[in-house]
Formats: sequence, C-alpha cells, structure tokens
Amino acid sequence: MPAIQNVFLFIAPMGHYLNYGSVVLHDIISANRQAGQIITELIGDAANPEKTEEQLKTLQPKVFSAVGHGNSTTYTVESTAKFVDAESPKLELFKDKIVSLTSCLTAIELGPAIIDAGALVFMGYKDEFWFYIGDEAGTTHAVQSPFLATFQFEASLLRGKTTGEARKDQLAKYDEEIQYWTVGAGKDHPESLELTRILEINKSVSTFLGEPDVAPSLPSITMPISPMLPWAISLLALSAMIYREATK
Amino acid sequence: MTKQVVTNWYNRIPDMEKDLALLIVDGNAYTPRMALSEVTRGTPLGNKLQNLIETKKFGTTYEQEQLLAKIRLKQVLETKPEKPMFATLSGKVFTPSQLLKEIETNTSIGQQWVNEEIKRMKAIMQGT
Repeated sequence: MPAIQNVFLFIAPMGHYLNYGSVVLHDIISANRQAGQIITELIGDAANPEKTEEQLKTLQPKVFSAVGHGNSTTYTVESTAKFVDAESPKLELFKDKIVSLTSCLTAIELGPAIIDAGALVFMGYKDEFWFYIGDEAGTTHAVQSPFLATFQFEASLLRGKTTGEARKDQLAKYDEEIQYWTVGAGKDHPESLELTRILEINKSVSTFLGEPDVAPSLPSITMPISPMLPWAISLLALSAMIYREATK
Repeated sequence: MTKQVVTNWYNRIPDMEKDLALLIVDGNAYTPRMALSEVTRGTPLGNKLQNLIETKKFGTTYEQEQLLAKIRLKQVLETKPEKPMFATLSGKVFTPSQLLKEIETNTSIGQQWVNEEIKRMKAIMQGT
C-alpha cells in the first residue's frame, strides 16, 4: 500500500533523557499542524516497538518522524527497545515514505538501508547528536535549542514545504540558533559557548539522503473571511424565517 | 596589514571567544585579546602574532591545532559545575569533567569536539 499524503506518524519516547527532544517535538507539531492533516503521536510508553509497527502498517504515513537512541545500524524507541536495524525485514515498512530519525549515528548504515528499502527521504545524523541537560526538559531555551534546530525539518514539512525546502529551513534554523548563543540574546548564558558547539557539531553531522522535491502535505491555506459573510448569514436567517412562515 | 586591520579582526570575534587560546608563538598560546594588546603596543611578540593573523594561521602543525583545540575546550569546561550537562542520542551523559576526559584521552566522543573546535578556530582566523 502506498504511503498516504497528509498523514504523519511521530514517535516520542520519554525515558533515558528522550523527553528533552520529545517535548519540543510535541510543541513543534502543535504550532505547525494544518487543517486536514492526520497526525498520530505515540508518546512515552505508547512509543513501543509493537505499537510503532502497527501504526506504520495501518496509517501508511507519508512522514515517519521519530526521536530515540540509536547507533550506526539500529534505531530504538521507549526504554531503548530495538525497533529496526539495517538488516531487519521491517525496513520495507518505510517504502515510499519520508523518514526522519532524530537519533545518533543512524545515517551511517541504517539510513542508507532505509533508502535502499524504498524510502523517498532519510533525514538523520552520522555521528553523535548532542543536547544540553543542565535544566529540566522543556523549561529553557538552552535545553530546547538543539531540538528546535533539527525539528525545523518537521515544522516545514507540516507547513507544506518539500523535503528539499525543509532541509534548507533546518540548516537555516541551525544558523539562527548558533547566532542566538554567539551574538544574540543568549550570548551571556553561562553555557553559551558549549551550546554553540553542540549546535555546530549537530549541524555538521546532520545528513539528508534521497529526493529533495517530495511534498508530504498541501501548502497551508489561509481562508480570508469574506467581506460578504455577514450578508450571507443575514440572507440565510431571512430565508429560514420565510421558510418557517410559508410552511405554517 | 595595518594594526587597524588586526583591530577589525579582533572586533569580529564573539566576546565569549576573545579570551580563549588561539595563536601559538614559540611554544606559548595566546588569546585574541593578548594578541591585540601586543600588536597595539608594537612589541616583537606583537609582530609575530600579527604575522600569524595576516597568514590566517594559529599554529604550524597538525599537533599544534589539536593541542590548541584541547586547551580551549579545557578553558571552557574546567570552570563548570560538576553535574550532568551534556547528553547524546546514543544514551551517553557527561558532566563537564567527564567530557573533558574524553577530549584529553582522544576518544571518538572527544575527537568530535576537538574537530569542531578546530573548524571554529579556522573560521575565526578567516574572519568569518
């Protein structure tokens, strides 16, 4: 079954410090989702291997985006349970899909294997993905910053952009976050230099494989309220009154 | 290159990097702030530092680049409180001193930070 346009599946484990990424992903989805999109988030315990596989099969999402620990061959979900590796028959579940794994090292072997299995795009990291845990998850810009940069890819896809445009936006967001800690409002933060380096490292090891012209959702449509709307409502009310009178 | 050009180069460096070691002369490491001071005063050391800045080099060998990067990272990390501050999506968690140990012992984790630091040093020398 081909992947279905406008359908998104997000995997958001919370244990083992993954809440630092998953809470940002949830906020990004809330802020960027568009009318008509079918969005499923598997959060915390629901982000287990069985449920993830089941949802991939039943939803056939165009976009599969997941946070998790990983290595060069393997992506894991909640409680570091293995979901897929570079030799797994499950790779065929990614056929025709856009796959984004916010996870360490998966762009080395697993990402190319996902592309070989027929995925349109793989977005991931070819070395360690770093983040700051000096504050509680989701509470400060410092802990959110690395994830705000990487999840710009998802934000732009939700907004109707193509994979190539979303990648360009992601790289620009990395630069914006680096500027924030280097010369912007965050430059006096006690860990501004480390945050700058974390973002620079993540940017340099981020890896996009596949096709740049895939659009998983329709561009956002804003419907201006027609100036005729008040007249139309009045006319409708009048019609209803006439109808009531005529049918007495 | 005039002293003004060195001043302009210095002014483009973010404040947080002005006191990190960047240049090596006769086996000693100097920060951009120290270099500007020497160049401004026209000392013999200032001439050597200015020459490095003109040629966009901070050291002369691969080993010196690695050493400078490690000195800079040590400057940053050794002053931090000892609590978990850095994590990776492969499940690793580090305090500043644990990360520093990775850097000093040339593990793959440490080398990732060293390589990025060298990139940053080169960008500063290029004035970008």
